[in-house]
Order: sequence, then structure tokens, then C-alpha cells
Amino acid sequence: MKCENIRDRFPDYLTGDLEPKAKAEFDAHIAACSACGEELRRLSEIWTKLGVLPAEQPSAALRDRFYTMLEGYKDGLEAEQSKAAQKPRFSFSFRQIRLRRPAFQFAAAAVLVVAGLAGGYGLSRSGGRVSRLSREVESMRGMMAVSLLQQSSSSERLRGVSYTSQLKEPGQGTLDALLLALDNDPNVNVRLAAADALYLFASNPEVKEGLLKSLARQESPLVQSALIDLLVVSREQRAVQALKTLIGGEKLRPEIKKKAELGIQQLSF
Amino acid sequence: MNDNRLMEDVRDGRVEKLAILFERHHVALFNFFLRLTGNRAASEDLVQDVFTRILKYRATYQGEDRFAVWMYKIARNAHIDYLRKRKETFPLDEQFDEAHSPEPAPEDRVVREQESALLARALAKLSPKKQEILVLSRFQNLKYREIAELLDCPIGTVKGLVHRAIQELGDIYAKLSNEVCRHEV
Repeated sequence: MKCENIRDRFPDYLTGDLEPKAKAEFDAHIAACSACGEELRRLSEIWTKLGVLPAEQPSAALRDRFYTMLEGYKDGLEAEQSKAAQKPRFSFSFRQIRLRRPAFQFAAAAVLVVAGLAGGYGLSRSGGRVSRLSREVESMRGMMAVSLLQQSSSSERLRGVSYTSQLKEPGQGTLDALLLALDNDPNVNVRLAAADALYLFASNPEVKEGLLKSLARQESPLVQSALIDLLVVSREQRAVQALKTLIGGEKLRPEIKKKAELGIQQLSF
Repeated sequence: MNDNRLMEDVRDGRVEKLAILFERHHVALFNFFLRLTGNRAASEDLVQDVFTRILKYRATYQGEDRFAVWMYKIARNAHIDYLRKRKETFPLDEQFDEAHSPEPAPEDRVVREQESALLARALAKLSPKKQEILVLSRFQNLKYREIAELLDCPIGTVKGLVHRAIQELGDIYAKLSNEVCRHEV
């Protein structure tokens, strides 16, 4: 095969797209032709070198901007759909029809009732669609938050926590991920942020349960303090026992002990 | 669910599905723009621009192309508009320099490795067309067939351009390396 034909195949060789038969011919030529071999070596070298160019990460602001844009677009779409659903499809004047006979009048009334019911059903279906869209974006955000909470970078996990605060009704998976972060995250800032985020959902029985269990596991005074506040706000009576157990602990700092005692008093009012 | 199905859902009104496409592609797109512009802020703006355009033109998605090919068509247009705006902003002579040397910020970031810094500089010295074709084939995981479709040209032209772009990049890189060596001596 001619050198020219072989050189035409260099790009496919570089991306590993040569068929086995073509690759065998190619290899045989390269082994025998020093000029093509030398050119291929130079091209391969620079092609491989390009791999050292690092893949950069965009800033966190990009993701926030995207979700804001998407929600704005969705809101606009929903507004349009609601408007379209309310707009009559056709119009006519009732004066155009004059029904004199009672039987016709009755039939016309029945038609109008049926049309009204159908219209109402259509509107409620449209409303259902709007709320379904909102639920889906909500669930997408929830998934995002859970995925961010599993990242190795603590700043990503912090962002995951902040995402949960934008959820109106987080799913159990999101709440579990927050409780897990509160219990196990190696970074105290993430644990603290998780405690703050759970404040919004402290009325959820499973969150209450998780907070009670977490109190015994926490060693950082900052997180202990945040949890005491949370339990007091949630008016969870079982917290009294949990706070007493905390006070009985050996390593507890005096200021936290004081706060826990105050918490017991507030819960007993 | 594959990208094409997701985009079909977006086209048909389930626009929230765009979030999954964003999560799958935004980093690759950001790096595509970063390698072409050398400017982080502009690259982020361009990524946002692409997703805004996807929503705007969602009704035109046919579902025949691989989604990535369609998305990069939009990305190219966004980049062309960006270059056009820069032409309006910068006088011609400055603009020529700008186009051939990216802003220093990304270079600083890669300076940890002299090799990658040199490569970034060398890449920036290629013509925009060669830069683009090299970035698409080497980093964006697109097949030559798809790039040909994207650029609306025969596949042989794409392969020829890739070949020449690598050759030229190698020459520029060797020249820059020699300059650095002379400088250090």
C-alpha cells in the first residue's frame, strides 16, 4: 500500500477506529516504512500529550444559574398553558340561536351542563399537569442534592445541603441523606449545615427520630449546640431524656451542659 | 434513559428533563469552550447560552442525530456569536492578538505542569477551525463522522484537517519548547 493511503489512516489510528484488517495492513506498512513510522510517532506523541490538559470544573454559580433559568422557563410555560386552558376555543353569540320550544331549551341546557363539566375536567387536568411539572423539578432538585451530598469535596457537599433548603417537600431519600451527613460527614461545617437544613423539616417524625439518635453520636460542641436548638424547637418530649443522657456524658463541655439543661427546662414548660 | 429520549421529552414539554442533560454534559461543554476561548467566565456564559438556546429551539429537535451532535451544533453557533461580539468590542489589531493568545488565567492554572501550559499555548496558536476540530475529536468524544455532520463537510475533509492540525500543533509545541529552553539557559 502507498504511503499516501497509510497517512490518510493516521486520524483513525489515533482514535483507535481502524478495523482489524486495515490495522494489520497499517502495522505492516509502519514496520517497513521509516518515514511513515517517524511521522506517526510524532503525531502520536502530540496526540497523547494532549491528554495532559486537565479537565477543569466550572464554578458552582453555573449550576445555580442553569436551575434558575430552567425554573423561570418552566414557570413561563405553565403560565402559558393555564392561559391557553382558560381561553375559549371558539366563540359565538347566544343571540344567534333562538330556542323556542321547551324541549330544545332543555336539551340545550343539558348540552351546556355536559360542556361545563368537560371544561372543568379539562382545567383540572391542566392544573394536574402544572403540579406534576413542579413535582418533577422538585424531585430533580432532590436527586441533585443527594448526588452532591455524596461527592468527595466538602464544598460540593455543602452545596448539596443548601439545595435541600430549596425543596418544599423533600423525599425520604433526601432527608435520609441529610441525616447521614449530620451523623457521619467528616467536615464539621457540612454537619452543621445539615443540622440547619433539617430545621425546616423538624416536624417530620423520621427526622425527629434521626435528630434524637444523632445527638448521642455528636462530639463537636458546635453541632451539639445546633441539635439542642433543633430538638427544643421541635417540642419533642423524648428529647428531655436524650438531653439528660447527654448531660450525663463525661466529655461534655460546660457551656453545652448549660445549654442542655436550659433546653430541658424549655421543653418542660 | 438515553440523551435522545430525554431531549425528545424536553421537546414535547417535559422541560424539567433538561436538568439531566445539563448534569451529563455541562462540564464537557465548559471544557470545550474553555479550550477555545481560554476564558472561564466567558465559557460559563456560553454553557448557559447553549442550554437557553436548547430550550428556545427545542421544538426543532428531530431526534435523528445523536443529541451530542445537535448540542455541539448549538454550541458552535453560540461560540461564533461570541467571537462576533468580540470583534465588535475589540479593534481589529487587538482582536487578532486576542484570538491567538488566551487570557492568562487558565494558563496560570495549568502552569503547575509546564507541559500542559505549553500545550495550551500551542493550541491557542492554531487557527480557530483547527483548534475546534482538534478539541472536538480529542476531547469531546465525537466520531469523525459526527464532526463531519456537525461541520457539514465530507468526512475526508475532517480527517485531513485533524491530521494537519496535529502536525501543526506538534511544530508549534516544539518551537515553544525550544524558546522556553533558551530562556532558561
